[in-house]
Amino acid sequence: MKVWNWRLPTRTGFPPWSWILSLAILLGFLIFTAFVVEFDLLRLLRSISSLINFLGYWVTTPDWDYFPQLVTKLWETIEMGFVSTAIAILFSLPLAILAAQNTTPHPILYHTTRNLLSLMRALPDLVWALVFVSAVGLGPLPGVMALIFVTTGFLGKLFAESIEVVDRQSVLGITATGASKLQTLVFAVLPLALPDLIGTILYILDHNVRSATVLGLVGAGGIGYELVMSMRLFNYGRLVLIGTAIYIIVTILDRLSDKFRSRII
Amino acid sequence: MPSNNMNLHLTHRSLRLPALPPQPKSWIWLWLGIGTITISAMIWHLELSFPTVLAGLGNILEYLSRYANPDFSDWLNYLILMGQTLAIALWGTLFAFIASFLLAPLGAKNLSPHPAIYRLIRELFNLMRAIPDLMLALIFVSAIGLGPMAGILALAVHVSGFLGKFLAESMERVNPGIYEGIRCTGANFPQTVMLAAVPSILPEMAGYVLYVFDRNLRMASILGLVGAGGIGLALHDNLRLFHYNESSALILIMLVSIVAIDYLSAWARRRIN
Repeated sequence: MKVWNWRLPTRTGFPPWSWILSLAILLGFLIFTAFVVEFDLLRLLRSISSLINFLGYWVTTPDWDYFPQLVTKLWETIEMGFVSTAIAILFSLPLAILAAQNTTPHPILYHTTRNLLSLMRALPDLVWALVFVSAVGLGPLPGVMALIFVTTGFLGKLFAESIEVVDRQSVLGITATGASKLQTLVFAVLPLALPDLIGTILYILDHNVRSATVLGLVGAGGIGYELVMSMRLFNYGRLVLIGTAIYIIVTILDRLSDKFRSRII
Repeated sequence: MPSNNMNLHLTHRSLRLPALPPQPKSWIWLWLGIGTITISAMIWHLELSFPTVLAGLGNILEYLSRYANPDFSDWLNYLILMGQTLAIALWGTLFAFIASFLLAPLGAKNLSPHPAIYRLIRELFNLMRAIPDLMLALIFVSAIGLGPMAGILALAVHVSGFLGKFLAESMERVNPGIYEGIRCTGANFPQTVMLAAVPSILPEMAGYVLYVFDRNLRMASILGLVGAGGIGLALHDNLRLFHYNESSALILIMLVSIVAIDYLSAWARRRIN
């Protein structure tokens, strides 16, 4: 009873050389970097006990006095996610129209917008949050700005892709009535892409609320700051509440957006 | 042809077309209105003042100009840090792949040996996904100490949730005939997985792993903020001390490597498909 009994559909039955080569390079890189990342299996195994020890601290009575403050901070986090998504939609829709092959006015504009969008989403939102915090100071504003900046890049690309796969015949039907470019866009392209767009928006909303929970680490608003402070002060009574709250929020959002998406698409 | 036109006009009159059906009601303005009001209320509640941001645009340009001359004098150190970041992402992806590869078949509805196991594994994936990776990194740093190892574990745990869900879902999408065919030959669970499920989703799997690697690289570059290794700590420190030239060099290095890896993985994905 062999589980591993493969003859690949190549002439020899073995995997092709390019596969073996890339696998060897990958393995070599892993071995080479093992010391860079201080990989140490023994230390890892030994730290299991300290991990369990640490997790043991979490089994404690929650600090219920902290609850009202927690709700305020949590609400702030959710608001940051919603606001940044809404504003990013406003920015990314025009950019997406420029960055979609079938609606762009000019190929040069298409390439410029594409590159601009990929540049915007290249760096993680926390890096931008760091930069914006040092620019406009602490609070939710730099966090929202960072989220808007990064998600405009993501939304623009995803919107452009869903605009590109719109059914050509239906668009032609509107064009045939003598509709101008703008009218074609509003009455044919966007309505056809709408289910896809809503799916993308839900995904981004989910992503933004998730990100907003950790943006506080750099002082950019939301519940992350409380999390770090309680962790630094070993305030496990609060940590339990914060951790559970983040888990519940993210799970609810995940389920809701899954449900919505399966209904729309 | 005026006569023709006249005719058409006449027939039109005499036919008495039935009344048009009522225009479909469009709720879009109502929804947009509700959305705008809600978002404005939220902006007001968060006390965000975008007007001040816009008014201070001149200041922002001045601020951004401070990043204009990157200082690469410490470039070797930066490159080593970036290499470490890359290594963290790679190891995190590897561990996540191993864990999710082992768990995904148990979490696929049509493969799982028991519905209870399926539920359990899915909940486990959800739990892993729901905890933000930076929070996990904080936990691992407190538990096993500072260093890249904590970052790797945080990425591995968080991303296993994603990768496991993706893999399980693509195993569920496989044509049921393939599983049936293998099971008819008397294959047991590991054989079904290895000979039916994995070969059917191999290209998809490679795509997901590449996607997850991209994602891990982005996350690894900020894990340093909580002391979990990589380039993030250097950036954080430089920004705190208002060393704009060094920060700008670090951001540029991050940008270039992330974009390069993005292109590489996009190329690999195109090759696979």
